[in-house]
Amino acid sequence: MSTISTQLRNFKEPTKDQLTHVFFSIPEAPPVPAKDKEKHGSGEVETMEINAILSLGAQGVEDSYAGKLYLLPPYLAFSSLDRKSVRFTLPLSTVRRVERLNARAGVYALSLSTWHGMKIIVQLTSLRPTADLFCSLLREALKVELQRGQMKAVKGFVKTCYSEGLVSASGVSENEREDGSLITETKDGSPPPEVEFHGGLGLQFKFPGDPKKLREASKIKLWTTYLKNHGRNLTLLRYPQCTRLVQVGLPNRLRAEMWETLSGSIYLRYSNPGVYHQVLLDIEGKSSTSFEDIEKDLHRSLPEYAGYQADEGISALRRVLQAYSNRNPEVGYCQAMNILAAAILIYMSEEQAFWLLEVLCDRLLPGYYSTTMHGTLLDQRVFESLVARCLPMISDHFQEVDVQLSVASLPWFLSLYINSMPMVFAFRIVDCFFCMGPKVLFQVGLAILKINGEKLLQIQDDGGFLNLMREYFASLGDSAHPESADPRARAITRFQELLLISFREFAVITDDTILSERRKYRNEIVNSIESFNKRSAVRNLKTLGRFTKDQAGFIYDALYKAMCEVPPPPTAAPLPLLLTTANEGNQERVETRIGLQTFRVFLSEILTWARNERIVINGFQQRIDREVAEHELIVRLFYFWDESCKGSLSFQDLVYGLDGVMFNDLMENIEWFFNLHDKNKDGYLTKDEVLTLSESFLFIFRYEIGDAYLGAVSKFMTNAFEYGDSLLPHQTDGETGETGPQQIGHNQPYLNLATFRMVVLADEVLESFFETDLSASFRLDPVPDLELPPASSGFLGDLWSNIATQDNKKIFHKLSDELGKTIGKHQILYRPIIGRLTKLEEPTARESLISPSSIKTPLSGGSSDTLAASNSSSTLVVDALSNQDNDGPSSALASAAFSPMPHFRAVNAAFMERTPFAIDDAGDDDDDDSDLEMIDVDNDDQVMDEVDAFLEAHDSGLSEADKELAKDLLNASPVK
Amino acid sequence: MTDAASGSVDRSVQVKLVLLGEAAVGKSSVVLRFVSNEFQANKEPTIGAAFLTQKCRLEDRVLRYEIWDTAGQERFHSLAPMYYRNAQAAVVVYDVTKATSLEKAKSWVKELQRQANPNIVIALAGNKVDLVQTSPSSSGSSPSPESEDEADDATATPGEAPSASGGEPESLRQVPREEAQAYATEAGLLFFETSAKTGEGIVEIFTEIAKKIPIEHILASTRGSAGRSAGRVGGARQEVNLEEQQSKKDACNC
Repeated sequence: MSTISTQLRNFKEPTKDQLTHVFFSIPEAPPVPAKDKEKHGSGEVETMEINAILSLGAQGVEDSYAGKLYLLPPYLAFSSLDRKSVRFTLPLSTVRRVERLNARAGVYALSLSTWHGMKIIVQLTSLRPTADLFCSLLREALKVELQRGQMKAVKGFVKTCYSEGLVSASGVSENEREDGSLITETKDGSPPPEVEFHGGLGLQFKFPGDPKKLREASKIKLWTTYLKNHGRNLTLLRYPQCTRLVQVGLPNRLRAEMWETLSGSIYLRYSNPGVYHQVLLDIEGKSSTSFEDIEKDLHRSLPEYAGYQADEGISALRRVLQAYSNRNPEVGYCQAMNILAAAILIYMSEEQAFWLLEVLCDRLLPGYYSTTMHGTLLDQRVFESLVARCLPMISDHFQEVDVQLSVASLPWFLSLYINSMPMVFAFRIVDCFFCMGPKVLFQVGLAILKINGEKLLQIQDDGGFLNLMREYFASLGDSAHPESADPRARAITRFQELLLISFREFAVITDDTILSERRKYRNEIVNSIESFNKRSAVRNLKTLGRFTKDQAGFIYDALYKAMCEVPPPPTAAPLPLLLTTANEGNQERVETRIGLQTFRVFLSEILTWARNERIVINGFQQRIDREVAEHELIVRLFYFWDESCKGSLSFQDLVYGLDGVMFNDLMENIEWFFNLHDKNKDGYLTKDEVLTLSESFLFIFRYEIGDAYLGAVSKFMTNAFEYGDSLLPHQTDGETGETGPQQIGHNQPYLNLATFRMVVLADEVLESFFETDLSASFRLDPVPDLELPPASSGFLGDLWSNIATQDNKKIFHKLSDELGKTIGKHQILYRPIIGRLTKLEEPTARESLISPSSIKTPLSGGSSDTLAASNSSSTLVVDALSNQDNDGPSSALASAAFSPMPHFRAVNAAFMERTPFAIDDAGDDDDDDSDLEMIDVDNDDQVMDEVDAFLEAHDSGLSEADKELAKDLLNASPVK
Repeated sequence: MTDAASGSVDRSVQVKLVLLGEAAVGKSSVVLRFVSNEFQANKEPTIGAAFLTQKCRLEDRVLRYEIWDTAGQERFHSLAPMYYRNAQAAVVVYDVTKATSLEKAKSWVKELQRQANPNIVIALAGNKVDLVQTSPSSSGSSPSPESEDEADDATATPGEAPSASGGEPESLRQVPREEAQAYATEAGLLFFETSAKTGEGIVEIFTEIAKKIPIEHILASTRGSAGRSAGRVGGARQEVNLEEQQSKKDACNC
């Protein structure tokens, strides 16, 4: 029993827009605005970016920074050019006022006032019309927010943030929304009487660590100042000092709010009010395998913390984990999530934790907790490569003594170090993680290895490595330089040293590094996971039948490919793949079963008559288009193999079913075919069934050349009814001979196996069909064997896959077809299924065949379609051009055989050649029109690409100039 | 075990052992019982794998077990090869009160036999027998199953319980001892029913494994005598129990 998931195939590289959203922690595709967009018809150019210079209204607080201002409704975001110094993400609803500043000529400046009374000044340094456009879009977007009533939501929402009380209580703003008691009780950690802000279990059960040692009071003071000047929660501006403050550790009370602000989960909570409570209502009384797993782990999550020895903590943890698993059933629940949730619940309210968990699992640690844990494996691979690059000696030593880095580092990443380090330290890493992103995990990991470098070079095995790490983590609170004479140096703890090295020495590890490394290793990981799954699926088969393990592997490949292909929306398993839970609530051990549609595709992979193969010759290439055949016979086969009558087939069913036909001899084949059509399994075919069986023959022989098969089938029918009637003598004899057949109802038992056999054997063609051709029409080894390459090459990630998408291939094929039509070389033939009688036309074609093996190799790296074409050894992949007289493209096409990439070029080359044709045949017909369109589309794309490229260059050129100008401006006259 | 072993009396032999099995069958508890003779009701789930070591003396040898206690959740499965590679021994744990856990155990065994070190010694352990021993009288002198006494007492009478436990009052039991035993014999595994809670059977697993492991092979890595005693599971148990009584207390210097 095995679960087969094609989920990994659905990965797509994030687009530039998505990356921007991720960078600004803006929730993707916010559900409400999507509707509003249509309602208000606020145009297509919704989002926009523009060069700008940011300065704070209050003078002298911070420097000005040049960067880019993004309008991403319902957010306004800014990032400095270096992408790290300054940034903000403002929900538009927190913008209370926008004024155009009356400044010097040539300066286009806006002053934005936020909810918190902060003034942000942005100079738009792009050209005037661009700036105008931006302003009008901004105005539109603000109007939309106003109409949505979001402006009012702000007031209620900010009350849930601790900073509001913190700032107002220090008496600077005349904010009467909070009571003053809040601040007086902050220090001792007991909850104030009326808590409006969200907080975690720590309010009640104390926060880990000694507040004095953590210097809570002075941290709070620093933060109060910062939050007062730079905005807070929804309106926080992140200047360099913010990052520095985070790096020294967040104060306990502020942690919840800062975590959600820095990670962006605050925007989710803000834009989805009440959702968490709705989810809780939804899951009431529900049960799932995830819930069972969660239950097992509830009492095993940070059990040493007082809050989790009490019912309160446990049930909060249960609710949050259940709610998340319900919201994202694809992830469900993964061990380690309990530890994360337990940790953040110390500081955060359930609602906050719920949203933070979502950001964590979906955005910050993508794929970490999925059922395949591919994200975890991928990042381990990335970490390994970073170690090899940054710490080659350690990496070499590990290889030498065969120590696997992941044995230690995997839990680091999976539980954000919470499980590895003492909690107080782990939380500080978590602080940085939320502020600076996933790269922190890598930086810290590298620093740990670097600090322990010398000792690591001594270790001999995995165990030694783990022990060393354990000792090190236990000593993080100790002085890093105990011997030093300087008391200040002595005061530096090992943990501080760790952070320092992480962020100083490994600052080279950037988000981009991580992204590009992930891209690099993604295929490798996906392949290893898939081949691992394949091995276990084959291993877990109850019976291999007469197949070898390799052959079972081929069946698996075909099944896998079918699963990738068929469900056009394959994200959710339910539709095409019926997921049935194997007996009992067996955790995650769900057997994958395929439905009829997937089965069709599967069968078309290994059974020649389950597919139509069209040989398309268009003068440039000859390829074979494969289609899945539709016929009642295939449906019949599906139910024939569905022995457990579930309306779906498992991998085991397929193996078993194929085993029942692929190893048969003549007699067994006849019997098999008979049984296939004997629906009620009474050992007799009815007349209807005989007819159906004949139709099946016709279907199987549909592309055979010549009349032999047709003749055989009609002979079969005549004989079958003749013998059948003659074998019903007792009944017919009683009547007059003619009426006999009528008397036997069409669904009465009519023809038994022996008779059927006789009839079949009476015909040479049918006999040879059952003798060899039927079994041979199932082809295991060659087909899936060649199916593998697309999995290992391309398909995901690399450049080629971007070009070789199914769509592009289709376009390419269509193009070349159209071209072929234009030059009159387009031709479609159906490939015979059995192909025994091919004498009619083959010989000449054979001459032009190049040996199949020589074609297979160059193509093996290519797309699945072309592969499919080269599958069957008798295929006619012809060097089409060698026969053609078209010289121009032929040279290009000669190289086309080697990689699909030049195919594209070939088409382009063909375009060049083609033009005269187009003119010549200008008035020809529709074909040409579509032809032209096709080309236009393609050309447009290319042009757009170029324009894009230009824009890029243009933009950066401008921003360079802008920067200069901006500096001048700043120095010359501060904007009013 | 003659030359090579005697030469290594002072120097302990390292044995890498991996624990596998479905989630929450008590893998970590088994290890904890063996390593520090404790039982914790609420054990943090294992992330990736936990690593523990324990020395064990058997006759004239000292074995140093390096124990990799793996995470049981299904999705961690693909990480398992990282831990069982190069392992000389494996304990595959199932829960006697949960039939599906034996199925999972079987698939682990299959995987180990095909993918792991070919000489690997595999033991099958049916844990949580304390839950199905409702009548303490049936297992002779064994202490009451509920008690969490010191393991010295708890493990004092291993091996006797099973004889009686094949019987009647086991309402919770889903895996009959005979069934598991039969499977283990067929697959060539050592077999025990254990309770990490009471300590029953725990030390025996590790002692039996120690006996079966081709120490010479590990030491010299030349003279390999692989599964030399696959079928003698039943008989071997008795022998162990005899010497187990006195050896265990001092052997495993916890």
